[in-house]
Amino acid sequence: MESYGQKLTDSWRIALLALLYATGIVFLAVSLHRVQVKRFSVLSRDQLRQSVRRVQVPGPRGRIFDRNGVCLADNRASYCIAYYVEELRKRGRWINTIKAVDADVDRLASELGIPRQLSFTAISNHVLQSLPMPLLAWRDVDQETLARWAETVEPFPGVDIYVQPERIYPQGSLAAHVLGYVGRDRPQPLPGQKIHFYLPEMIGKQGIERQYNQTLTGTSGGRLIRVDARGYKHAVWEGEASVAGDDVHLTLDVNVQRALEKALHGWRGAGVVIDPRNGEVLALASAPSFDPNDFVPIMTSGVWKRLNEDPALPLFNRAVLGRYAPGSTFKPVTAIAALRQGIPAGMTYTCDGVFRLGNMRLRCWNTYGHGEIALRKAIEQSCNAFFCHLAHSIGYDPIYEEARQLGLGRPTGIDLPSEAGGLLPTGAWKEKNLRDAWRPGDTCQVSIGQGLLLTTPLQMSLLTSVFANGGTLYRPHLMRRDGLPEELNTMEWPPAAIALVRGGMHDVAELGTGRRVRVRGTAVAAKTGTAEVDVGGVRRKNTWVTAFAPFTQPTVAVAIIVENGESGGLTVAPMVHDVLASIFGETPLESDPAAGTASPEPEVRGD
Amino acid sequence: MLKTILSRLQRLNPLLFACMAGLIVIGVTFVYSACSVRGDPELRMLYMRHAEVGVAGLVIYLALALTNYRIVIRRWSGLVYLVCLVLLVLVPLIGEVRMGAQRWLFGIQPSEPAKLAIIMMLAWLYSRRETKRGVLTFLLTLVVVGVPAALILMQPDLGTAMVLIPTVFAMLFVARVAPRIVWTCVLVGATVVTLVLGLIYTAEKTDLPQERREQLIEMTQLKPHQVRRLQVFLFPDKDLHGSGYNRRQSEIAVGSGGVWGKGYLKGEQYMLGYLPPSVSSNDFIFAVLAEEAGFAGSLTVLLLFLGLLSSGLWIAFHCQDDTGRLFCVGVLTLTFSHMFINIAMTIGMMPITGLPLPFISYGRTFMLTMMAAFGMVQSVSIYGRESEIRF
Repeated sequence: MESYGQKLTDSWRIALLALLYATGIVFLAVSLHRVQVKRFSVLSRDQLRQSVRRVQVPGPRGRIFDRNGVCLADNRASYCIAYYVEELRKRGRWINTIKAVDADVDRLASELGIPRQLSFTAISNHVLQSLPMPLLAWRDVDQETLARWAETVEPFPGVDIYVQPERIYPQGSLAAHVLGYVGRDRPQPLPGQKIHFYLPEMIGKQGIERQYNQTLTGTSGGRLIRVDARGYKHAVWEGEASVAGDDVHLTLDVNVQRALEKALHGWRGAGVVIDPRNGEVLALASAPSFDPNDFVPIMTSGVWKRLNEDPALPLFNRAVLGRYAPGSTFKPVTAIAALRQGIPAGMTYTCDGVFRLGNMRLRCWNTYGHGEIALRKAIEQSCNAFFCHLAHSIGYDPIYEEARQLGLGRPTGIDLPSEAGGLLPTGAWKEKNLRDAWRPGDTCQVSIGQGLLLTTPLQMSLLTSVFANGGTLYRPHLMRRDGLPEELNTMEWPPAAIALVRGGMHDVAELGTGRRVRVRGTAVAAKTGTAEVDVGGVRRKNTWVTAFAPFTQPTVAVAIIVENGESGGLTVAPMVHDVLASIFGETPLESDPAAGTASPEPEVRGD
Repeated sequence: MLKTILSRLQRLNPLLFACMAGLIVIGVTFVYSACSVRGDPELRMLYMRHAEVGVAGLVIYLALALTNYRIVIRRWSGLVYLVCLVLLVLVPLIGEVRMGAQRWLFGIQPSEPAKLAIIMMLAWLYSRRETKRGVLTFLLTLVVVGVPAALILMQPDLGTAMVLIPTVFAMLFVARVAPRIVWTCVLVGATVVTLVLGLIYTAEKTDLPQERREQLIEMTQLKPHQVRRLQVFLFPDKDLHGSGYNRRQSEIAVGSGGVWGKGYLKGEQYMLGYLPPSVSSNDFIFAVLAEEAGFAGSLTVLLLFLGLLSSGLWIAFHCQDDTGRLFCVGVLTLTFSHMFINIAMTIGMMPITGLPLPFISYGRTFMLTMMAAFGMVQSVSIYGRESEIRF
């Protein structure tokens, strides 16, 4: 046991080892600092790039209902035949895989007996850009094809049924211009997230679908896909679940809407029905119309071409975008402006069939003249000469101010994505755009709804609703939501003045040019209008009727315009009648010989 | 009796124990993380196995700490060494093949205790009074180390063979055995490594004809997979999706952790399988840790190793005989080599060799071996302060 226990080793050698270890550890610490702190951003970007692909999964789109709970826009399951490319992958260059998929699509097409919908370029783009996603070879296939596919599934690996929600409009073309339509597009990325792929999301392209796209869309969920080094899918994890979009409840009433569209059918024109008590839009239509279901699942170039090249412009929403001279339907504005300027209600003017102002001559529609006529009668008879005289007496400014306060010349603020403001001309506007001074003749023209004045059917229905409710301008709206009704303006009309103008409009429906609007049992007030326009050298008449009912406690205000009609009283008044009848539950107008021989609508002619 | 044990336990080095315990806790934590994504429920419970081995190891640790290391080394090192040799010989005959290498025998890897056996043998050999510290001893060392090392290399396990080199040289250095020969060997070894790397570099870099390249590669006398690893080390960006894949993925894992990491159980590299699940709980556990705990976590681990190594060297420094000192130097250098090569490999500073990180990597044989080794280091702490009572 003597052979152990010595201590010959040097302590400094152990200290040297300690130094060596410490150096090694410091070296590792510095290296780790370099990798983890200095190269952090580069490497984490590399990681994101190589590994996980984030896919944005849209939530189910909200539905759209009318005020009675009738569904106007819904979702249905659409069956697609999809390729999962990773199961058809080929070695080598991408083109091998693309060709393999292409050949397989051909094979499946002949097997199923359906034409292929997918071009070689589309396959190529899919493989190169969105490889881990399903490639939709046939969208929206019918049950028969599905059944045939189920029988032939065996020799087609990598092909499967893919269900995706598709928009459906159960009422067909009803309220198409209000609802708009959807397209499939790249969605907005969720804030703060890098999205590599997306499932095409339905995005509102027009109308309510576009206006309330955010409400309807809901919240997208996420899905993670791990891809290998070449980009093929390896595994999928469900991320946050998507949240369904909210439903939208409209103020529209399908019954009124249907009556309005039926009345307009076959014409080019538009109509708006508003509740004058709160600005709720009960119906809004433009004719001709279209069927938004034609754009599902995708708008084909054929459909697009047909709708876009149609000279009747079916996609154009005349109700909010059409700019028309309002014609005589503007006269109540001139009347109330004059009354507020202190023109006595009993003031008379003798119409001899023509109004002369300097060397300008403006003919009344009644070439023999109306004789001595007062304001209420002038509204009923729509005497141009009287209103020109009235306008000349008070000047343009009060008329302009009245029209401006009634919302003309600017968009009404309805909840639709686009809306025209029309034109309420001023001297400055004419100076700037026509390089001409404002003349008394211009005042006369505007006073009878002609000349430079342009309005949309929506504006006229809104204006009518102000006369109906006695002076409150509400913001028109289509969706029921909080903070409504919203008052935009309150007119300071003397009660006697508004009563007189309303009385005049009542007489129009009872005795005058608008007798065909009458609905049995309901007192209606109306105003007809016919504006001559020059369309490419051809003189055409845009015919109007504005109306409200019931006379004492109005719940409905209507404005309808028909392009190239006979006259407001003849062409449009029956349409207004139909709409009002649909609301107040009247039986159709009993045959009234007087209506057929009613005095023709006054023509309005300018210089 | 109990009083004696308690008084001895008081002389345990607390820092050494605390650092080791800390590393084991970190190990269990991140092995849990790494295997939480495995499909097989048994593999998901790997962290429990790791913890169980830790507890079992603790018993061995304390038992060996309370046993005089001098007795263990003098009486048992020969036997342990022989048993290990027999097991290593049996491995190629009846061992199991896992992951392309034949390393397992009855569920253990004999190459791990063999490392400890070699250290014990050398500590015993160098501290014998009769041993002259000259050429003969050096040759004897070559035999003692060479036989098991050759058997390990045959498995093949280059990594284990690699850590033996610094360990043995550290012991030779501290024991002052044949200094000239030792330094010559170091120089020759460095030259050989440079030469091999140079050959591979030349073969890869220049526009040589294919045959000439193959000749150059053949001159290195390495196996194809070893050549590939060295190629990856030299040209890390050459084949990111082939041989360079693991290196690249572990570098991304470490780097994307940033300063504070992605959070526990939120590492993406292993979760998404970019770090192969077969290695993420053992050889690449540090990548998992670095991704989830960031630079802060990496630094914590480095500090624990620093504490472990420095307190170990402190024990060696204060030990009164060569046996304890040399044993400590061997064990600590082995630990240091493992740690250094493993972490450097994880961040792409070293070729990938497949060495576990002591106490943290999952690996039952290695864990038990290391705990036994450090138990004996504690024994040096308890018994080594007083010079041996001469019998």
